[in-house]
Amino acid sequence: MTKANLTKSPQEIASRALDGDLQLDQSSLSQIDAAKFARYAQIGDVMREAQTGGISIDITAKVAAALENEPCHNLSLQSEHQEQIAQGTKVVKLSAWRRPISQVAIAASVALVAVLGVNTMPQQSAPAIDEMPVLQSRPLAGGVAPVSFSTEQSALQSAEKGIRDLQQQRIGALVLEHQRQSRVAYALQQKSKAESEQPEDKK
Amino acid sequence: MRLLACILGLCLASWAHAEEVVSARQLLQNMASAVHNRNFDASFVVLKGKGMEPYRWVHAKHENKELELLSLLNGAGLEIVRVDDLVTYYEPQSAPYSVKTDSIAGPIPEVLFKDVSTLLEHYDFVLGGKGRIAGRPAQLVRVEAKDSSKYNYWLWIDTQSSLLLKAAYVNQQGELLEQLQLTHISVTPEPAEQLLELTQREFPTPLPALKLNKEDTLQNNWQIGWLPEGFKLLKSDRHKLDLNNELADYYLFSDGLVDVSVFVQRPLPGQRPSGALSSGATTVYVHNSGAFDVSVVGNIPAMTAKSIAESVKRPL
Repeated sequence: MTKANLTKSPQEIASRALDGDLQLDQSSLSQIDAAKFARYAQIGDVMREAQTGGISIDITAKVAAALENEPCHNLSLQSEHQEQIAQGTKVVKLSAWRRPISQVAIAASVALVAVLGVNTMPQQSAPAIDEMPVLQSRPLAGGVAPVSFSTEQSALQSAEKGIRDLQQQRIGALVLEHQRQSRVAYALQQKSKAESEQPEDKK
Repeated sequence: MRLLACILGLCLASWAHAEEVVSARQLLQNMASAVHNRNFDASFVVLKGKGMEPYRWVHAKHENKELELLSLLNGAGLEIVRVDDLVTYYEPQSAPYSVKTDSIAGPIPEVLFKDVSTLLEHYDFVLGGKGRIAGRPAQLVRVEAKDSSKYNYWLWIDTQSSLLLKAAYVNQQGELLEQLQLTHISVTPEPAEQLLELTQREFPTPLPALKLNKEDTLQNNWQIGWLPEGFKLLKSDRHKLDLNNELADYYLFSDGLVDVSVFVQRPLPGQRPSGALSSGATTVYVHNSGAFDVSVVGNIPAMTAKSIAESVKRPL
């Protein structure tokens, strides 16, 4: 048995370890290539959409190293290179930093819409009822045979759901924006009043 | 003789009416000054349809400085701090920021704690009945819109301390849409410890002075054909929304009591019917006009939001 274990390829061991089939101990760990393991873990995360940081292919280190090794033709260029390196790392850091925050924000907006959503239900179902006769009239006309009806329906439903999600997200963003903007509304109002009163004073 | 009596009667009636307006207004003004001058610690809940939001509201006047704290107690929370004319918003999803203004934009329209006489042009102040709210005797004051396409706002004011006990957005049928009810209030001679700490706290530098950008308005001039009476444009610009990074042409209107936002955006894919969502008094109306989407958000009736959204035309 142990021999069979040993003959297994490192890929398989890594894969099994990730799936939880294989217990992680000294013998199995020694056979796993760390880089490969990390890559597998990432693939798994992406497939499960658990990846939050986005696929960050960090080539800045490599670029930096390459630039370092590059023969320096002109000294003034050196600082430019370094600036580029600095900018490069900044971009990667920023995007990695923004992602989780925007996700929290979206989650918050969804919660906001969920509260709104309760009242929506009747409003959304109302147009659907209106459309009912249109849908039923087609088979009566004899034009369409509902062969793949069920699959089409589910595809339509998922497409509709996607659009609804987009709309929900947008409505969440709109409500939040309204809330934020109305915070400056009173100050603006005072200002416009002061400005409109000024010319009167001059008279 | 009869005519004279008639005229006299009319005069008396109008005089009585004027008297009533003054006293309703006086009550509101008393409330505004009480809210600004007393040390109190209050808790209230806002009921929006099926949702509920509990808040804590603490205010103090200390060495001629006003200290105020309003915090949302449920969920991720929201904390608003005011030290005199600097208001700082602490939100879970973004960095705190300050606005140079002398009132907190909370669930109660700010103007009610300020100079209510600015509302007289578009609203009537009417005295209502007396009642008992949060264990205290209260007097109802109704702020009624002269234009029937807006909501009314009702306030119940403590007859002894002049502090606010309850408030509600009420539609034209007299239904309470969004209620704010105090559950506890204590008025103390000394300011609360928690507020005194605020004087030591450091706040972010306020946002640059807000400018009224009337010039910018001309550049992206979507024509907003109809608005309820009294609404004036406060600002308009084009910016990206925080949450989904969508670009929007943005307009902010106010009639002094309520604010209305109008967004014009690129349409979302698919044929979507136009429709309204509402939560308490807040209405979101999304109008799909083919080439562009118009969304209206504010504390206005759905029909009003619909009319505004449908009146938006392409710039010529």
